[in-house]
Amino acid sequence: MSTTEISSEIKLTIYHCNNAFGNDITHNIIDKEKINLKFINMACSSMVKDVFILRAFESGSDGVLVLVCREEGCRYVEGSKRAKKRVERVKKLLDEIKIDPKRLSFFNVSPDNKDATLKIIKEAVINIKNIGPLYSF
Amino acid sequence: MIVGEQKPITEIIEIIAPYKQLLILGCGTCVKTCFAGGEDEVATLASMIRLAFKKDSKEIKIAEQTVERQCENEFIQEAAQNIAKNDAILSLACGAGVQAIAKRFPKVPVLPGINTTFIGIQEQHGIFTEECQGCGNCGLATFGAICPITRCSKKLLNGPCGGSQNGKCEVNANIECAWQLIIDRLTQLGQLSNLRTYIPPKNWRTSISGGPRKLIREDHII
Ligand code: SF4
Ligand code: SF4
Repeated sequence: MSTTEISSEIKLTIYHCNNAFGNDITHNIIDKEKINLKFINMACSSMVKDVFILRAFESGSDGVLVLVCREEGCRYVEGSKRAKKRVERVKKLLDEIKIDPKRLSFFNVSPDNKDATLKIIKEAVINIKNIGPLYSF
Repeated sequence: MIVGEQKPITEIIEIIAPYKQLLILGCGTCVKTCFAGGEDEVATLASMIRLAFKKDSKEIKIAEQTVERQCENEFIQEAAQNIAKNDAILSLACGAGVQAIAKRFPKVPVLPGINTTFIGIQEQHGIFTEECQGCGNCGLATFGAICPITRCSKKLLNGPCGGSQNGKCEVNANIECAWQLIIDRLTQLGQLSNLRTYIPPKNWRTSISGGPRKLIREDHII
């Protein structure tokens, strides 16, 4: 791969709750597309602290997707609600430092509906590709 | 506890602009509890600054540390080595913490990363309320442990005024009338007769109006 190709590669980090979908989904992903996906499995999505999201951007991600269980399906009762609030806050922080908050997205998913989850991931990939790389230098 | 909130990032970026190597120093007590200056906030702020600088192709090195309390020397000294290695300190403590660091390290610029707001409590998770203005002569025994200086919009010591409606303050319907609260509580305690005591005009010399205050405990000075 040439340098230009490497630098034009888009990287998306996906934080997800361990219970939101099984590991198999990560193998079904869009490997043909030119995108670098990094899955980070968490025991509960409420563990996705502000700084984890920011550090994903720091370490080269062009986008971050947070996938959590449905609110009523959260095993830890309020984990999904907490994650949602955190993501909303980090979006504001990103906006303050003039990073497009659309680079960060959040969805509730269900382990019973893997197709829907795959669709969300694919759309997130397209979204980040459209926005482009975080740093263009 | 002292309640504070982090300054807007734009202001922080402006005040740190002259420095190339910055220590963000958190405080693990009051401001950690109000989500403004503990380890998590230090890490988040450091990350935001790095991202913002990188975006503008500017360079900065950021060290992170949080001490238990920035207002106590023994904890401050834990940061001494780190302080010596940096151009400036961005303190995420209250104003007392910022000044405590500045007094001990005269050659290092110390910058405030927090707006210190009030002495208060965590009413519920994520909601902080002001409860005391440190007047220096506490009268809570008379007022059923509800402070009219802090919680009555007019600071009335012989309240209520005539404007309270349905338990709310006439200044702002979102504020509970402190005097309604005082009367309700004194009634519950069987101490409503406290209100028969006329409270004379307060001597504010014990408050900040009397100038900077100092407390000396001879028995603790060696
Ligand atoms: S420095 Fe301020 S915020 Fe930190 S413990 Fe002391 S009083 Fe509380
Ligand atoms: S009376 Fe003074 S010391 Fe007591 S709570 Fe009110 S402001 Fe604080």
